[in-house]
Amino acid sequence: MKRVTRVLLGAVAMVGLVVGVAQADPQKAEVFHWWTSGGEAAAVQEFAKAFNAAGGEWVDTAIGGSGSTARPIGINRIIGGDPPAAMQFNTGKQIDELVAQGLIRNLDDIAEKEGWKAALPPAFYEAVTRDGHVIAVPVNNHGQNWVWYNKAVLEKAGIAEPTTWDEFFAAGDKLKAAGIIPVAVGGQPWQLNLMLNAILLSEGGKDLYLKVYKDLDPEAVKSPEFKKVAEIFGKLRDYSDPGNPNRDWNVATGMVISGKAGFQFMGDWAKGEFVLANQVAGKDFGCILGPGQKNFIMGGDVFIFPKLKDEAGTKAQDLLATVMMSKDAQVAFNAKKGSVPVRLDVDNSALDACAKIGVEVLQDPDKQIPAADILASADVVQSLTDVVAEYWANPSMTADAFIEKWNTAVDQAK
Amino acid sequence: MKPRRRKNVASYVALIPAFIIVVFAYLGTMLWTVQISFTDSKLLPSMNFIGIRQYERLFATSRWIISLENMVIFGIGLILVCLVLGFLMAAALDQKIRFENTFRTIFLYPYAMSFIVTGLAWQWILNPTLGVQQYVRNLGWTNFQFDWIVQNDRAIYVVIIAGVWQASGLVMALMLSGLRGIDQELWKAAQIDGIPAWRVYLNIVVPMMRPTIITSVVLLSLAVVRVYDLVIALTGGGPGISSEVPAKFILDYLFGRSNIGLATAASSVLLVIVLVIITPWLYYEYFRPERAKGGK
Amino acid sequence: MLQATSRATAANAVEPSGPRPRSVTAGRVGLYVFLAFAALFFLLPMYVMIVTSLKTMGEIRIGNIFSLPTEATIEPWIQAWNSACTGLNCGGIKVGFWNSVRILIPSVILSIFIGALTGYALSLWRVRGANLLFAVLLLGAFLPYQVFIYPLVRIYSTIGIYGTMTGIVVTHIIFGLPLMTLLFRNYYASLPIELFKAARVDGGGFFQIFFRLMLPMSTPIVIVACILQVTGIWNDFLFGVIFAGRENLPMTVQLNNIVNSTQGEKLYNVNMAATILTALVPLVVYFISGRWFVRGIAAGAVKG
Repeated sequence: MKRVTRVLLGAVAMVGLVVGVAQADPQKAEVFHWWTSGGEAAAVQEFAKAFNAAGGEWVDTAIGGSGSTARPIGINRIIGGDPPAAMQFNTGKQIDELVAQGLIRNLDDIAEKEGWKAALPPAFYEAVTRDGHVIAVPVNNHGQNWVWYNKAVLEKAGIAEPTTWDEFFAAGDKLKAAGIIPVAVGGQPWQLNLMLNAILLSEGGKDLYLKVYKDLDPEAVKSPEFKKVAEIFGKLRDYSDPGNPNRDWNVATGMVISGKAGFQFMGDWAKGEFVLANQVAGKDFGCILGPGQKNFIMGGDVFIFPKLKDEAGTKAQDLLATVMMSKDAQVAFNAKKGSVPVRLDVDNSALDACAKIGVEVLQDPDKQIPAADILASADVVQSLTDVVAEYWANPSMTADAFIEKWNTAVDQAK
Repeated sequence: MKPRRRKNVASYVALIPAFIIVVFAYLGTMLWTVQISFTDSKLLPSMNFIGIRQYERLFATSRWIISLENMVIFGIGLILVCLVLGFLMAAALDQKIRFENTFRTIFLYPYAMSFIVTGLAWQWILNPTLGVQQYVRNLGWTNFQFDWIVQNDRAIYVVIIAGVWQASGLVMALMLSGLRGIDQELWKAAQIDGIPAWRVYLNIVVPMMRPTIITSVVLLSLAVVRVYDLVIALTGGGPGISSEVPAKFILDYLFGRSNIGLATAASSVLLVIVLVIITPWLYYEYFRPERAKGGK
Repeated sequence: MLQATSRATAANAVEPSGPRPRSVTAGRVGLYVFLAFAALFFLLPMYVMIVTSLKTMGEIRIGNIFSLPTEATIEPWIQAWNSACTGLNCGGIKVGFWNSVRILIPSVILSIFIGALTGYALSLWRVRGANLLFAVLLLGAFLPYQVFIYPLVRIYSTIGIYGTMTGIVVTHIIFGLPLMTLLFRNYYASLPIELFKAARVDGGGFFQIFFRLMLPMSTPIVIVACILQVTGIWNDFLFGVIFAGRENLPMTVQLNNIVNSTQGEKLYNVNMAATILTALVPLVVYFISGRWFVRGIAAGAVKG
């Protein structure tokens, strides 16, 4: 029997009527994702290899971009009745609507069988659970609050790795005196936002961070602690160069690699650039979680599994979910991706020096901090990036004005 | 001519595809857009009506206001510069120039290029630490300054420069063909009367090319309202939010920020603005009952 | 008929018609200086793209964007065409080339044909509501394309053309219609009305006049329409990726996957090469039809 699902009032879409050729073979699964660049593709290849070895057949559909290109395409395929077997998604509130519309599968059985709850950091498990049901598979854990630095440059200027913000700015002054740009900033809103969040966590601490993003508490934003964060962020303008607006993050990383700049705030994917330039973690370049309090902001991606009409396709989904979460595939995938495995119970001996620092910090559940996207809606988080970018680009804006704009934006978007 | 003679069932049949497209795709989408703009749609369109809340938020958002202002600046700048430059290039090419084909191709090629990457080349050229400014400084003029792309109040003008680069070739081609349609006799007569060439251009040629200019303006206006790639590639809307534009606002909320309600509200506002601007022109060009069919 | 021929000839005259040059004067030198500077402005980004595409990534990281490559390499070009990874498939941009061609040809032909037919009906025939139809069409052209996606996906999946070749061709017809109609409407309105009247007196019907008289006279404007549509459809990414279906993804999807990455590494040299390569088809069309392009617009735009 054909089940016509009323996806939207006023428009009827037939979910599952059009079953793609992809599901014709019993273990075939079309996987939709936005990992297209060399290193990313190499990581996806690890998943595909593992899936194929387990008796599946990986059908790859990749649409590059930041996800805002691919996501609407995938969503429209789900609505249009031609869903892929698995689709990459941002961890966060955006999944809620798909769950509410009954468009994606719940994975309780597999999660139970494979013991996901015990293996995952609690915040991640929570992030893929809705009303007690597991609805997605987390695949990678990207640390977002790293500070990278050029070891040779710091050594030459006689600077030790800063552990407080005062030390950081002192180091910046020394670098300036040596004719080096202290901080390589990519002045794109999302990059600036990462930088602000790193400061928020290292200076303001976990509680403030959670109040600001999880509770969206206006009082926390008005607190003197948050103001201090805003001032440190504002002060960094004087430690960057005038060419920062709209600079790609990897161009900024290039400045650190070539010694034009000393530090960069960026997620752990920046490691890929250092590695491409034949630099070694802990030897040529260093990494700090902080300065200040050491916490680990966990971002990452999940895969959702749209409901399929045919049994074979559903079976292939089961296999795929199991494979993606398996220990071997997790280690192999994340080693290539530059992230750390989502499972905490895997062998991390093969990781590089920086990832080891990250894994060590992650052992303490208190230091596992979910990224802002996991805590608040995309609308809130990205409307805030507008405010952060505006503040950064306008040195005459006071921290108080910034705080007020912040609260207005949250109020409008939540 | 009696209108009756030109009425024909076949003419209605021929318009069936256009009629279907207009009703379902265009009219349908416009109505859908307006309707959704009164709902709280987020990731997926919903029919949960919330009145004019999206519009209230829209006009309380400084980024939207800045976007509208920038569209006006960009629109005026792009259309004026493209018309003037396009006309000058066309007039220059129309002087029995050597290598006319080469020049024309050079002026036209940017129109064929995807701007996502071409824009990156522009971004580098305009970047003060990578591009022209640094280059000239290295040549010895250490005070040379050209850093509009990183200045809040200048960044939108940089977008105009790149927009002109992309679109003026097309305008040039249109203008050139307009010039080619002008009677040779005109020039002979002007020469005999001793009228300087620039006066002929200004007083006779430009008025004669009114239809070409209108076609160019329509094409450019479409580019203005839809401008997106240029801004993404050049400034990303920055520094800060100083070079944001409406199409980018709409796309960000439609896709990245999953707020379809706000995005459709913004689209509806844009539609109303366009309607207000083009209605008088449409009426003047196509609706005047007395306008004789078949040219004027 | 005679009139039409002579008119077409006049419009087709490509010889420069401006004031006659005298000898080498200051003005003439100024003219070439102006053209040279304009050409410089237009070529600068192309220069940066080409030298970047010939450099190694190590050299690009140093950041001298205007300098010539110290060791020129065509490896990025080969990689862009043949082996750049766009997900698991590492076949470069050549993968979608034939899909693009297969989308391009029917889309261009049909969108121009329907635009011509609509323009013809609207300009020379009295159709009730024609102006309203045209106004809605023009207004709709100002909506951002992306807003159309949600309603169109629903319509397409209801009638069963979502994710098919038909779906993508229909989409290009829809979005080509406003501009095509405008072009042909203006063009036909500028033709001498006597021609049309004579054909009517001779008993020509609607379609007879269209196919026997109007279309043969439309070559110049068809070329213009071709260039606009080829450029637009060839460079389209959004519609192709949403409406064409997995089997028919156009080349721009590969280009996007190579070029558009947030957290992955960016190979600027490969990106530049891939962009230039993708633009080759419209560039070739410009080059071949450059002569007619100007001629066509002349005929269409002389009278609006």
